[in-house]
Amino acid sequence: MTRYARFNTFAILYGVVYFFCFYYNWAVFRYYPVLEGFRLQSQPPATAGPAILWYAWLAQALVITLGLTLLVPRRVAARLGPTAAWLGPVLVVVGILVYERRWFY
Amino acid sequence: MEEGAGVIQVLMILHALLGVGLLGAVTHQAVSVGRSGGLAKRTMVDRYRGVHAPAFVVTVMVLFVLTSLAGGLLYPRYRIDVRTTLEDLQLRAANGLFEIKEHFAAVGLGVLPAYWLSWQAPLTAEYAATRKYLTWLLAFVVWWNFLVGEVLNNIKGLFP
Repeated sequence: MTRYARFNTFAILYGVVYFFCFYYNWAVFRYYPVLEGFRLQSQPPATAGPAILWYAWLAQALVITLGLTLLVPRRVAARLGPTAAWLGPVLVVVGILVYERRWFY
Repeated sequence: MEEGAGVIQVLMILHALLGVGLLGAVTHQAVSVGRSGGLAKRTMVDRYRGVHAPAFVVTVMVLFVLTSLAGGLLYPRYRIDVRTTLEDLQLRAANGLFEIKEHFAAVGLGVLPAYWLSWQAPLTAEYAATRKYLTWLLAFVVWWNFLVGEVLNNIKGLFP
């Protein structure tokens, strides 16, 4: 199991990185369904229509988390333990529900 | 028929079918992993819970990825047609439900490696809690996303 300890690190970090990406609306690229294409720069809604940031959040979370996971020494990853692997994502889910409650008022 | 509408319909049906399969697999596993003790009574519920839970791991992972992929492909159409309709109808809560759905899909994708690890044989006591809670987390996410998807798909009928 120690050999795969980084899988747990990935599970802990991925949700956190994703949360920060959408919380700060940070997207290095956007998809514009009306234009049927990706753009690096934000386009005017009047001509480009609405943008989808979700693809960027997923990709950014994947790349950043993979990088961070590889940077964490295996010994440290092993010490994080299996509890953090489920507790981290559960806290992210709670954070999402708390943050998105703004839609229901 | 509008160009591309046929593809969208096929994708919608595929997305729903994958979702149904995923819902069945992860629910079976989530109920089974919460089981404590033997199966003295052979009721229908006991038999439902008595499945070999590790056998569902790969199925759940593959279906989760494929369902998310199909959802991702449908997203542009949703963003243009459905979301704007929801905004016109001032159904903010429905938009919020979808926002949570997309975030939950991301969280689910992120936990798949740890979920796989926790179910690796031999099943160890050290990973018992991780196995249970990650499976329950995935089941919660899948149920949420399935129900929200169905509500949004039928929202014009539900809120005429």
